[in-house]
Amino acid sequence: MWLVFTKEIKELLRDRKTLFFMVALPLLLFPLIFGGVAYFSGKVIKEAQEKTLKYALVGAQYAPEFAYKIAARDDLLLVETSVPHDDVAGIKALVTTQAVDFVLVIPENFSNDIVAAGQLTLSLYLNDAGLNNAQRRINQVVDEIAVANQANAFARLGVSEEIQVGLLDPILIEKISTADKREDLGEKIGGLVPYLVFILCLQGAMLPATDIGAGEKERGTLETLLISPIPRNQLVLGKFFTIAFAGVTSAMITVGSLFVWGVVMSQGMAIQLLTEFMGAISALDFVLMFLMLIPVVAIFSAVLLSLSIYAKSFKEAQGYMTPLVFVVIVPIIIAMLPGIKLEGIYAWIPLTNVALAIKELIKGTMDYVTLIPIFLSTTLIAGVLIAFCTYWFKQEKVLFR
Amino acid sequence: MIEISQLAKKFKVENPKKLSEQEKKDPRLKGRFFHSVQNVNFTCDKGQVLGLLGPNGAGKTTTLRMLSTALQPDGGSIKINGVDVLKDPIIARKNIGFLSGSTGLYGRLTGRENIAYFGKLHGMSEPQIDQKIDELAAVLELDTFLERRSENFSTGMKQRISIARAVVHDPAVVILDEPTTGLDIIATQTVIDFIKTLKEQNTPVIFSTHHLDEVKELCDSVTVISEGTTKYNGDLASFESLVPGSLHQSFLTSIS
Repeated sequence: MWLVFTKEIKELLRDRKTLFFMVALPLLLFPLIFGGVAYFSGKVIKEAQEKTLKYALVGAQYAPEFAYKIAARDDLLLVETSVPHDDVAGIKALVTTQAVDFVLVIPENFSNDIVAAGQLTLSLYLNDAGLNNAQRRINQVVDEIAVANQANAFARLGVSEEIQVGLLDPILIEKISTADKREDLGEKIGGLVPYLVFILCLQGAMLPATDIGAGEKERGTLETLLISPIPRNQLVLGKFFTIAFAGVTSAMITVGSLFVWGVVMSQGMAIQLLTEFMGAISALDFVLMFLMLIPVVAIFSAVLLSLSIYAKSFKEAQGYMTPLVFVVIVPIIIAMLPGIKLEGIYAWIPLTNVALAIKELIKGTMDYVTLIPIFLSTTLIAGVLIAFCTYWFKQEKVLFR
Repeated sequence: MIEISQLAKKFKVENPKKLSEQEKKDPRLKGRFFHSVQNVNFTCDKGQVLGLLGPNGAGKTTTLRMLSTALQPDGGSIKINGVDVLKDPIIARKNIGFLSGSTGLYGRLTGRENIAYFGKLHGMSEPQIDQKIDELAAVLELDTFLERRSENFSTGMKQRISIARAVVHDPAVVILDEPTTGLDIIATQTVIDFIKTLKEQNTPVIFSTHHLDEVKELCDSVTVISEGTTKYNGDLASFESLVPGSLHQSFLTSIS
């Protein structure tokens, strides 16, 4: 069996195409793509934030202090306009013709005296479909004036500070979460981990699986191998372990690479949060997660090998394997849905239960006893599939189609 | 010595609609089964070369696959040196060297690694394998490309490595299924020379072919199969005497 395994691994390591997809792609290309997207989107957002916006002010005469404060901002540039107060079409045209980025209309009754004027409404005309920072910048100026006006009004009305607070926010809700940071973050990203790892395992195992089964048929090496004096089950196991090894290695390389690059690229808080989060997960939990992964990879490998040996050619094998990704995604998606917990029927759906268990382990809320039936049932399925694979390898109608 | 008697093999027809017109008319199609080989008998003694002839679809490859233990017969017996190989295919496999025209190599392994892999599968030790490869390299002139990856080999190189791989374990019997099909003249000559070497070493060889000149050059006896049944068994001289002067006519007479 190890003879077959070492030979298959040797061939695998010499296959540039498979190695590229298994190692180079996750190590370099994925981080490059993700990093590139993050870099460019960050750059675009930063540019938008720093860009000086052109604006027009209608009714500036009603609020000279306000107009002055806006004009004093570095990131806003006043464009003079003579459009009258009531010409809504004309105001809109200023924005649509891109003469200005936004128009602010100040009402005639603008006053700093809230008690006399009541609530004021300023109209902000802008193209809100795009990325826009106009409202945020105006708010900064408005808030400053509004707070000052509020304080003046309260003083004039003789309202004490305690009552002021009560008037502004009569009832507050204070949220005290019983979930610690790990559980909170685990719930949010815990579902993503099995999703990523399962799919990566499957993808990583797919190329070698195609080569090991259908590839042997296509190249005409299978028949010679079948008539060599090695028991069929050992032949199957040798190939099976190669596929499983490739799947796990590929997934680990990708996850490891994402993790390392993530740490390298993220800064300050993110790193702090990540380190705290990772530190909270015990070594035992990591080992358990890895253990849970073993029967899952075994299931994938056995199914892939069975499909591959059935196919007459590479092309046919790839045709059978592509839909398998969708079949695998469904139970994992179920585990990612909010509110789905490791109980009732979900504890018995293969793959879903493992994905949920991994999520619980990440959250730190795992009832370890539950792991035993999940592990056993998944191992049983894997065992049955490996047995089927060996049976499949003995079928003449499969080998000599 | 190899003795084959009353060998039979049927295949289940999964989808009768997919059968070709010729297959539908074939008398071997009985209900849901296609009786590819029905009654094949022949014997091949030590140092003999037996040519297996027959039209396309006669059951030659199926017969040889059963001999090589890749397929399990439904009836009959195969005995190598008096031992029934159907009872223990693993022992049979240790005694058989098999090669066909469509046999491939592992492209990412070197010539030596390809041969050594099968040596190891046959339970040979590293020194045994090295020694045997040295011997074979001298006979088959492998030295110039033995250490190169086989994906870039010419057809002739591939065939020579395949031959070495097939006999690395010193098999008691060598079975060749159309070993020269698709090969150029030089590569064909390599195969012919190899069969002659086996004959000198007293190893029985069974090979199927469509080339009657190869039969004339190499074979001691001839077996003709048609529609899964042995139609002719005899030595080369009596086969030639069926229609003197033309082996083609002899062949046609034997199947008619």
